[in-house]
Amino acid sequence: MIERVHSIGRGAYELLRRPLAHAFDSEQNPLNYLGALTIFFCWIVLVSGVWLLIFFRTSVSDAFESVEYLTHEQWYLGGVMRSLHRYASDALIITILLHVVKEFIFNRYRLNRWFNWVTGIPLVWMIFALGITGYWLVWDELAQFVAISTAELLDALPIFTDSMAGNFMSDELLSDRFFTLMAFIHLIGLPIFLVFGIWLHVFRLNGPRINPPRRMMAAALLCMLVLSAIYPAISHEQANLAMTPQLLRFDWFYLHVYPLVQRWSPGSVWMLLVGISVVLTIAPWAPPARKTTVAVVDLDNCNGCRRCADDCPFGAIEMVPRSDGTNYTHQAEVDDELCISCGICVGACPTATPFRSKSALIPGIDLPNHSAADIRQQIVGQAIVATSSEPRVMVFGCRDDRQTERVRKAGANVVTVRCMAHLQPSYLDFVLSRDKADAIMLLGCEDGNCNYRLGAEWTEARIARERDPRLRKRTDTTKIAMGWVTPWSNIVDPVKRLDAFCNALLNRDGET
Amino acid sequence: MKMLGEVAAWAFFAVVVGVLSVWPRYEIIDRGNAIVSLTFSHAAERVGECRMLTQEELNKLPPNMRKPSDCPRERHPVRIELRSADVVLYEDLLLPSGIWSDGKANIYRRIVVPAGEHDLSIGMNDSGGASGFDFEAADRVDLHAGRNLVIRFDEQSQEFLIR
Repeated sequence: MIERVHSIGRGAYELLRRPLAHAFDSEQNPLNYLGALTIFFCWIVLVSGVWLLIFFRTSVSDAFESVEYLTHEQWYLGGVMRSLHRYASDALIITILLHVVKEFIFNRYRLNRWFNWVTGIPLVWMIFALGITGYWLVWDELAQFVAISTAELLDALPIFTDSMAGNFMSDELLSDRFFTLMAFIHLIGLPIFLVFGIWLHVFRLNGPRINPPRRMMAAALLCMLVLSAIYPAISHEQANLAMTPQLLRFDWFYLHVYPLVQRWSPGSVWMLLVGISVVLTIAPWAPPARKTTVAVVDLDNCNGCRRCADDCPFGAIEMVPRSDGTNYTHQAEVDDELCISCGICVGACPTATPFRSKSALIPGIDLPNHSAADIRQQIVGQAIVATSSEPRVMVFGCRDDRQTERVRKAGANVVTVRCMAHLQPSYLDFVLSRDKADAIMLLGCEDGNCNYRLGAEWTEARIARERDPRLRKRTDTTKIAMGWVTPWSNIVDPVKRLDAFCNALLNRDGET
Repeated sequence: MKMLGEVAAWAFFAVVVGVLSVWPRYEIIDRGNAIVSLTFSHAAERVGECRMLTQEELNKLPPNMRKPSDCPRERHPVRIELRSADVVLYEDLLLPSGIWSDGKANIYRRIVVPAGEHDLSIGMNDSGGASGFDFEAADRVDLHAGRNLVIRFDEQSQEFLIR
C-alpha cells in the first residue's frame, strides 16, 4: 500500500524533476538542496525581520501605522524588507513541502532516519505559527480575520474558560498588551524554539547541508528581491472590529486552514491537523517493516584509521578503545540503531581492496549481505571481452536508483553497489588495470541526489584524490565518468548518457 | 541555454510565490450580508437553595470547614434565544463549565444575517425555567453590509448590550 503511494508520488515528482534536471546542473539543482534552501529562506526572513522590528510599534493603534510607514514612506528599504520578509516566508513553505514529499516518496524517513523525520514535524508547526502570528502583527483586515479565526480555533481547545475570540469583538476590548504578547511570541519565543528545533533536526547527521551553494543562494535572494520590487507586499485597510472584512487577498501558503475553520467546526480542523501530524509521526514504523543488516567490523583487518567514522553520513560509527590487545589504539564500532547499511564505510576502508590474491577479501568493515567480495565477484562476472572496436564500458549503479535497472535493461554490463561511495576507489583501478573494461561509468543516483546524502560528494573527492582512500595515480581518470557531474549530467536519460560517453571515448581514440 | 533554463525556473518559482500569496481572493461573507456576534460568559443560578447548617452539624465539621451555609455547586444551564422579528436566528442551551458544572456558561457565535433593518431581540433564561426569560433586550438596528454587531451581557449592570 505505502509502496504504491511512494510510486505514485515519484510519478508526480517526475513532472517537476525532469524540467529542473534540464535547467540545472546537479550541483545547482534546488531539488538537491531543499532543506538547506529552507534554512536560507529563514535567514532572509530573520535579517529582514530585524529591520522591520526596529520600526515596528507594538500597540493597537500604532502597529498598522508603523507597517504602513515602512511600506510607503520607507519603500526603498523598509518596503523591500517587508516584501522580502513576506515572500521568503512563503517560499520556504514551498521548499518545506517539497522536502517532506521528496523524503517520503524516496523512502528516506524510515530506519534510522525516523529521528530527522519526526523532529521535522514540530518544525512545520512552528513555521506555521510564526507565519500566522506575523500576519497578526500587521493589524489590517487580514490580521483581523486571522486573529478571530485563530482565537476560534484556540477556543475549541479545553484551555481557556472564557472565549478568546470574544476579545476581538470590539476595539475597546482589545489592549496594547495583547500586541506585546504577540510580538514576544513572533519575535523571540518561536524563533528560539525554531533554532533549537533545526539543530535537533540535523544534529544526528554527519556534515549536514546547512547552506546551499553560494550561486544558488544568490539566485534565490535575487529571485525574492525582484519579486519584492515588482510586486511589493502591501496591507489591507486597517482592522476595524466593528466591521467584518469581506474580500481578502489571501496568503494560501499560511492561511489555507482558515477557510476550513469557517466551513467546518474548529474542532474538526484540529482533528484534521492533529490527525495528519500523528500519521506522519508514526509513518516511519508503518508496515512493511524493512529490516536491514548493519555493517560489521572485522578486528583482524581494522587498523582503527577512523576513515569509516569520518565518512559515515549518519554518524553510525564511533571509534572506541581497542579491545583485542593489538597495538592499534582504536577500533570502529557500529551503532546498530543508526546504521542504514549504505556501505559508504566499506568504500572508505583502506583494506577493502580487490587486489588481494592470497588472503580472502575481508575488509575491516563490511556489509554481510553485499560484501566487498561480492562486488569483486560481480566485476569479474561482468568483465567485458573485447569483440569489436567499441569501447568496453563497465557501469556501476546504485541499488535503489532506477537508472541502474534502466541501463541494465538496455544491455550494459552493470555492477550494483549500495551507493557510489560503497565502491572503494581501488575497485576502479582494479577494473581498468586488470582489463575488465576500457572505461567506467558511475551512474550514481538520479541528478546527483544521493540516497545516502554524501555518496556523490565522497566519490568525487576520492576520485579527485582529495579524500582518503584516494584513487591511485596510475588510474586514468579520463576513463571514468561520473554520471551526476557535467558534462554527463546534462544528458538526463542514463542510456543516452552512456552512449555519449562511449562516443566520446571513440572520438578520443580516433584522435589519438 | 542552461543559464536561460535556470532563470526561467527561478522566475517561475517567483511567480508561484507571488501569485499564491494573494490569489485567489477569499470571500469571508457574501456581499450584502452582515454579522451579529453573540459573545458573553454568564454564571447561571445554582440548581438549589442554600441551606443554613445547624450548630450540631457545624460542630461535626473540622474547624476550618465550618461554613454556615451549604450551597449546591451545580448551576442551571443557560437558555438563550436571538430573534430578528419573528425569525429565530439562534437558540441554544449552554451548559455550565467545570467538572462540577459550577462555572460560567460561555457563548461565542457569529451569525450571518442579510444587511438591512432588523428588529433584534434576545432573551436569556438562567434559572432553569422551561419558558420565559430572566433577561431580555430588544433594539431596531440598521445593519449595513459588512457590519459586525456585537451583543454582550454586561455582568455589572446585568443587562444585554447591543452595539
